[in-house]
Amino acid sequence: MQRLSHARPARVAFTWNGHAIEGREGDTVGAALHAASITTLGRSRKHHRPIGLSGSFVSGSLATVDTRPNVRLDREPLAAGLTVRMQNTWPSADLNLLSLARLLPARMTYAGFEHTNLMPSGTRRFEVWEKLLRFMAGVADAPSAPNERTAPKGARVAVDTVVVAGGPAGRIAASAAAQRGERVMLISRGSTPGESAARMVGSLPELDHRVETRGGLEAFGIYRDGAFVAAAPLDGRVGALVIAPKKIVLATGRRSCPPLMPGADLPGVMDAATALSLAVDCAVAPGMQVAVIGTGAEIEVARRLRDLGVHVVATAPTQSLRRITGHNAVTGIETDRLITCDALVHAGPWRPDPALAFMAGCDGLLQLRDAPHLSGVSLAGGAGDAAEPIILGPGPRDAAFVCPCMDVTVAEILHHVRRGETDVEVLKRLTACGMGPCQGVPCWDQLAALLAEEVGGAPADYGHPTYRGPRRGLTVAQAAGLDGLVEPDR
Amino acid sequence: MSRYPKRASVVVVGGGIQGLSCAFNLALRGVGGVVVLDAGYWQGGASGRNGTLIRGGFASPEWTRFFGHSNQCWMNLAKTLGHNPMFTRRGYAMIAETPKTAAMFEGALKVHAENGVTSRRLDDAGVRSVLPAIAAERVSAAIHFRDGGVAPHHAPMKAYLAACRARGVQVHYRSKVTGIETANGCVSAVMVGDHRIDADAVLIAAGAFSTEMAKLAGVSLAGYPMRIEAMALEPTRPMIGPALALIDRLAYMHQTGRGEVVGGIEVPERPRPSLKTDLPVMTGTAKVYFEMFPALAQVRIMRHWGGMLHISPDYGPLLGPHPALRDLWITAGWSYGYSGAPGAGDLMGKAIATGQIDDRMAPFAVDRFDRGKPVRELGIVLATD
Ligand SMILES: Cc1cc2nc3c(=O)[nH]c(=O)nc-3n(C[C@H](O)[C@H](O)[C@H](O)COP(=O)(O)OP(=O)(O)OC[C@H]3O[C@@H](n4cnc5c(N)ncnc54)[C@H](O)[C@@H]3O)c2cc1C
Repeated sequence: MQRLSHARPARVAFTWNGHAIEGREGDTVGAALHAASITTLGRSRKHHRPIGLSGSFVSGSLATVDTRPNVRLDREPLAAGLTVRMQNTWPSADLNLLSLARLLPARMTYAGFEHTNLMPSGTRRFEVWEKLLRFMAGVADAPSAPNERTAPKGARVAVDTVVVAGGPAGRIAASAAAQRGERVMLISRGSTPGESAARMVGSLPELDHRVETRGGLEAFGIYRDGAFVAAAPLDGRVGALVIAPKKIVLATGRRSCPPLMPGADLPGVMDAATALSLAVDCAVAPGMQVAVIGTGAEIEVARRLRDLGVHVVATAPTQSLRRITGHNAVTGIETDRLITCDALVHAGPWRPDPALAFMAGCDGLLQLRDAPHLSGVSLAGGAGDAAEPIILGPGPRDAAFVCPCMDVTVAEILHHVRRGETDVEVLKRLTACGMGPCQGVPCWDQLAALLAEEVGGAPADYGHPTYRGPRRGLTVAQAAGLDGLVEPDR
Repeated sequence: MSRYPKRASVVVVGGGIQGLSCAFNLALRGVGGVVVLDAGYWQGGASGRNGTLIRGGFASPEWTRFFGHSNQCWMNLAKTLGHNPMFTRRGYAMIAETPKTAAMFEGALKVHAENGVTSRRLDDAGVRSVLPAIAAERVSAAIHFRDGGVAPHHAPMKAYLAACRARGVQVHYRSKVTGIETANGCVSAVMVGDHRIDADAVLIAAGAFSTEMAKLAGVSLAGYPMRIEAMALEPTRPMIGPALALIDRLAYMHQTGRGEVVGGIEVPERPRPSLKTDLPVMTGTAKVYFEMFPALAQVRIMRHWGGMLHISPDYGPLLGPHPALRDLWITAGWSYGYSGAPGAGDLMGKAIATGQIDDRMAPFAVDRFDRGKPVRELGIVLATD
């Protein structure tokens, strides 16, 4: 893949599945691999289809780095000498016999290999079969030689207001609170607040100097009706943080959701945030020939990419997309014409990530339900805007993935719908839809949209399965380091 | 037309694993017209939220006799149901770290031997071979059950549901029981909103809501609802073979067929009626993993959830007829109700169909507290006092 002209010159050597690769200083591991034209970074759970950096489906960016399993390559900074390996392969990534599973008819693995009636349990045969399944399902080895003796110590701080995310809305909210004399903490995923928003909009509103900023932190949960916000650094070896605020502002913005159609899961299909992060921060073009679709923002995203030297071959409304082609990676799209491309960037429909707000207010005894209104928690900017509807592709949809990581197709969902099952909690349990590392975001939005289309009504009528924290995985070590900081509720 | 029938022989309130297992066994014994009603969704109760650990042996003879039977039922369940519950007999280990618990294990091993449950003491080499990933230096004693194991919730819940329906049991979810009517000192009907189902007998299998359901029938049932929590890690290749109870840490765990380590600890807290999760269980469970399975340190937590239990005064199940109301039956008070479901269904089915109370369930009679006969059990991971 093409390196853009603003790339930093310094080279950084690492290995991918034992092969030597060179990236550049400032790359994420994912970007360095993308630059080396390695677009398949992961394999789906059951069929071992290739998946890559997408910004939507987390499995496509998980790999083992040195001895740490399930590291997000799109966030992991590149360092010299890293040993990076693809997961969910056997005996090796280069000769992956597990990928033969791709040849199995999809119907055979509905709900996973586990659901077999061919091999009744209680038999010796089942024990052997189960052992094999466990091995195949396990994805990656946990390190056998532990190197940590004490958990990275967590911290607890009390503030008046905590603002989650440093985009324009977060900065405005944080500054306003500081000007009212409150103690404000702004936490952001990027090392400086507003990094990702800046890629899109260029300049950001001024941040009041009294706002305390904490970069490189991901808010993973809200507990006790907003009494605690918990956040963890991306590096699982560094301690996490519990914040006890009086008020919470969620300014987590919106993200682009891929259309629900066959091919939307292929390596090379990515959201605008991922494409811009590759191009702006790492000087890597998302592709040699890039198509950009969207619900309005495609023109602006294409302009930003072109300014950086990316070859954008087409822009089109997401609505106009008829087909995505490719087997191991995207090779083209069809709108009103055929377009050859090796990257498809989507900039809309835009939807807020509902998980943190849900955790803040949900309650229930038989099922956790969204709070009718949140107290002490407010949504700023895009996070509070209405979600744009999911776009379903025209034409045969059966082969599309509602949940690519777990290989749940439209056909599998419809198989249960035809038997009368439309309860999303039940569909989740029958298919494992949304039970991978993305935890249902955005798959459950796609699920509801599909049900509305096929059964009738509006997506909201179907609701969503419970969003279960932590929204982003913190490591066992980080969580252990928080122990004792929050008293049990006695 | 209503989806519910006008009359039923037995209405089972609650379609968790207890309700389904009892309904199946009633049908198996030829009882027709069994109806199961559940307020939530399939697997929405504790039966879809638990650790899925199954074992036969405890510290008391009463628990061991009962759960030993249930463990045997699990081993034959695929045959019994004609559907695969995916019980995997991968063994179950109880781990002690303190001398006090190690001493309790000595007594427990004797109880197992006397009551037909296969168990053995693991010496240091045994611990290292069965659990190579454990911090063996922390283990002071261990018991291994060859026949214990796990079964992923969805599989037995699916198998029981299919087997119930195949035998003519009507099962309705999203169907909340709002009233239980009585006439002449007997149960007479169950209400689902405006709909009335006349019933010869009612079985309360409503998990955490069982006390509330008994109240609907105008009788009391000891115990209270309590939330406990569990969590799952992102998948890794197999590193933990058997299911585990870490008695001194009030912790239980296993590694699922999908590679996720699932488990939890019990943190003594005030009972809270909600499915919401909280930080102390997550951080405390992580601490147990970090100390006992150091290789898990850099594995990420994928999700964390809560489930509701019905806690009885002695933490044991409440099984059998209700002493204050004829034709009202109870299977509640479960803290190990997943492990115990096939056995409970078998014995309760027999009791309701024939009136015979099996010796293995008799000690758990609903009125045992009034008679001053609680059952004392120390081999469980609950914050007992
Ligand atoms: C986190 C956790 C871990 C656990 N780990 C284990 C373990 O490892 N091993 C083990 O053996 N056990 C374990 N348990 C306990 C086990 O899950 C329960 O004992 C068992 O599931 C009880 O089954 P049940 O059918 O009685 O209850 P439930 O599955 O809770 O079913 C009760 C049903 O009643 C329904 N209901 C409520 N109100 C009404 C109404 N008004 N009308 C109709 N229906 C109603 C509910 O919707 C629910 O589905 C664990 C529990 C939890 C929460």
